[in-house]
Amino acid sequence: MNQLFPVIQGHVAKLVRVWLLVAACALLPLRAADLSDLFAERIKSCVTVEFLIENELDRQPVAVPGVCVDANGTIILPASAINARVSIRRLKDFKVYRPNSATAYRAEYLGQDALTGWHFVRAEEKLHPELVPLTAWARPGTPPVRLADEVWSIGLRGKDEDFHPYFLMSRVGLIEPMPQPTAIAASEIGGPGLPVFNRDGALVGLTLNSFGQNFLLFSRQERGQPVVLVNVEESSVFLLADEVLSYLGRIPENAAGRPLPWLGAFGLEPVDPEVARFLKLENQSALVVSEVLEGSPAEKAGLKGHDIIVALEDKPLPRLKPDQVVATYVEREVERRRPGDDLTLTVLRDNQRLDLKVTLGDEPKILREADRRYFERLGLTVREFLYGDGIAHRVKRAEQAGVIVDFVKANSPAAMGGLEPDDWVREIDGREIKTYAEAVAALAAIEADKDRSEFVLLTSRGGETAVRRVKLK
Amino acid sequence: MNESPAWSIIRAVVGALIVLPAVVSAPAAMSGDFNRLLGAVVRIDVREVTFEAGARRFVAGVGSGVILSPDGLVLTNAHVASPHAVEISITLPSLERVGARLLGWDHWTDLALIRLDLDEVKRRGLAFQHAAFGDSDALYVGETVYAVGTPYGLTRTVTRGIISNNRRYFEDSGGVRGYETGAFNTWLQTDAAINPGNSGGPLVTEDGRVVGINARGYVGADNLGFAIPANVARRIVDGLLAHGSITRSYIGLVPGTLQDLEHFYALALNTGMLINSVELGSPAARAGLHGGDILLAINGQKVDGRFPEQLPPIQNLIASLPVGSVVRLSLRRGGQAMEIPVVTEKLESRMGEEWAFDKWGLSVRKVSRAFARENQLDDDTGVIVLGVQSGFPAAVAGIAAGDIITKVNRQALADLETLKRIYQEFEAKPDSLLVEALRDRRVSLYVLKP
Repeated sequence: MNQLFPVIQGHVAKLVRVWLLVAACALLPLRAADLSDLFAERIKSCVTVEFLIENELDRQPVAVPGVCVDANGTIILPASAINARVSIRRLKDFKVYRPNSATAYRAEYLGQDALTGWHFVRAEEKLHPELVPLTAWARPGTPPVRLADEVWSIGLRGKDEDFHPYFLMSRVGLIEPMPQPTAIAASEIGGPGLPVFNRDGALVGLTLNSFGQNFLLFSRQERGQPVVLVNVEESSVFLLADEVLSYLGRIPENAAGRPLPWLGAFGLEPVDPEVARFLKLENQSALVVSEVLEGSPAEKAGLKGHDIIVALEDKPLPRLKPDQVVATYVEREVERRRPGDDLTLTVLRDNQRLDLKVTLGDEPKILREADRRYFERLGLTVREFLYGDGIAHRVKRAEQAGVIVDFVKANSPAAMGGLEPDDWVREIDGREIKTYAEAVAALAAIEADKDRSEFVLLTSRGGETAVRRVKLK
Repeated sequence: MNESPAWSIIRAVVGALIVLPAVVSAPAAMSGDFNRLLGAVVRIDVREVTFEAGARRFVAGVGSGVILSPDGLVLTNAHVASPHAVEISITLPSLERVGARLLGWDHWTDLALIRLDLDEVKRRGLAFQHAAFGDSDALYVGETVYAVGTPYGLTRTVTRGIISNNRRYFEDSGGVRGYETGAFNTWLQTDAAINPGNSGGPLVTEDGRVVGINARGYVGADNLGFAIPANVARRIVDGLLAHGSITRSYIGLVPGTLQDLEHFYALALNTGMLINSVELGSPAARAGLHGGDILLAINGQKVDGRFPEQLPPIQNLIASLPVGSVVRLSLRRGGQAMEIPVVTEKLESRMGEEWAFDKWGLSVRKVSRAFARENQLDDDTGVIVLGVQSGFPAAVAGIAAGDIITKVNRQALADLETLKRIYQEFEAKPDSLLVEALRDRRVSLYVLKP
């Protein structure tokens, strides 16, 4: 008995091996070679975009994957590539790298599109022939991906590895409107912002930022502490191709992406299904308006805080999962329009249904457009007071004046004087500051005066003012 | 040997000096007055209600106190005996326990007045001493003082130290269980060991006079203890005895110290108090005062607030004015001098009344005017959620601690009674309720289901 077994085992193993070889010979030329060829072609649409954020004291390099979308070398980057607080004027030195190459090509920043959130960059002409736009892989008539379909994309390594591309593949696990048609694969399929293909190499989507995943952390200190991990290099989430292709033409006219449509309703909070049922809203969702902003199109149209938005253009708000997605749905409905366009909101107010026609406005200056100035000796950057600062500090427009502290250098006179970013400066040396220009002039004069031993600011933080003395000597 | 009279006197004096220390130290006993004081210091056990985790719970604490009168008045800290107390029991130095009740409290000075159950005292024939106040203004830095109390439950503990500072400024906006304290008085600082449980016990001089009520110490520091001066306590005791509470005036000034800024504001020496901020919606704000103004005089009385320890007396000057009276503030704004009349309001704490709604698994605190101002709310409508019990209707609906419930079934919660009434109706006839709440300025709706 003991001796017999190995003999039989050996036989079976040999048989299996032979069968596998036959099968592989039949499949390999058709399939595996196929995918690697497809891969080699499709990486021509992928690039890494590198740029610098010029801060007061340092230059912060950023590298993000991007995808070429047309024959003019236009490249799109995901919304998360650039922090919304960063001034456009501080974005410097855009460069584009192809996969597997250390050669840098110059590029310019075109701006951010409000609807998609994409940042658009254009590479220098020299590079154009080397790039293949993503549209080249779009096959009209390709059915949208379905559950369990095989999908693949590309990962890109870092600069030290010459942005080496690598292959990732998985299957579709879930398709859901969020509110755009979005698919989630069973595992990571590519770097965020890169194209996704099906088994035949047809474009099926564009990867989005990865979602957080729950894990338990075990270590010497922690015994099963729940943590959420987000993979920043690879993502399993992608936007479906039809949706992607329809927005490729939204190249911003300017860096800020203006004109920016504006409704002016703050804090749109979704109701959960229980609340919807209580409000007798079956199979639909609704949004509570927390505040209506002063002077906004929403205010002019008669929208009020605590109103409940139930329909847009007579279309009930869809029930989306999770509940929060319906707020994004309404925001997108605003952002896909232009200032001057009309939008009809149906709201519930005191058990009454009202139709309000809003004529969208042009959004007031946003953070990334604000003027800023750094005063080296004082250790302080101030920026102009924006509409959004009025909301944050809860002051009426008529009372808005002064400047906002944007940056405080550690251990500088300003820091020792107790100033913090987002403090609102209302007086300098006892003089009320009305405009940004006034503040800059006053601070520049203080900075230039080498005999100055101190200056005094009246600042406001959380509704409370404080007199702050900044000692220069 | 001839000895001059002068020499003999000197010898006698020197001899006495040598002998005297031996005479003083030999009996090693404290004065009779000090011993009588020990007979007036009590341990206080308090059982009180809390409304933290979405329910009504009871917790126990231990503190100290001092008996002030033959009719059983006991002075302690507000953070020992508060209106949350449901049961107060006092252990006399004779090791007898007797019940007591709260007569009144004042968290601003961290003082509370309780009275022994005199019927019980009489019935059981219990005896106790009572202590007398000393003059805390006469204390000098370096003077020996004793702290008597129940640190960590160790009854009748006496520790010794000196007055380290007799005008310490210490203000805490949430120092007495979330209630404000210290704005209207300075404190005695001592290095006599003060530990948890010493709270409410007396700080006494060698003659057994109460010069302070021990209240707090720095955690982790070596012997930095603080006591409320007896001269403040005396006033508060009188007020609590007469009215059960202390009424103060409020105008909404947040003072700052001038410290070296006199030059910038071109002020004469030793004058003025910097107004750092004016609370939104306060009488001072309505009267047009704002941050950066310099207060020179109150009703003609000059003020000097250059240093922190000078601020409480100025604050107290305003607080002592009758509520609703007009106070003339002399100010300097830029180069301009001006006089602005302000009508005072009644001072209120930021802490509102607390309550638990057991069936909802929800505990709340009323939004006070001060809380509304601090958090830039439109008004004082609503209740703050202190806690929710998981699995109970409030938690299931999605309500969380920190939310401010403003409306229930579209009815604005102007006061806690409104919510209590809605709860009673719910108890009688459980039905779904629509709750509107604020979280970080965002309005959300929830359904509370039975």
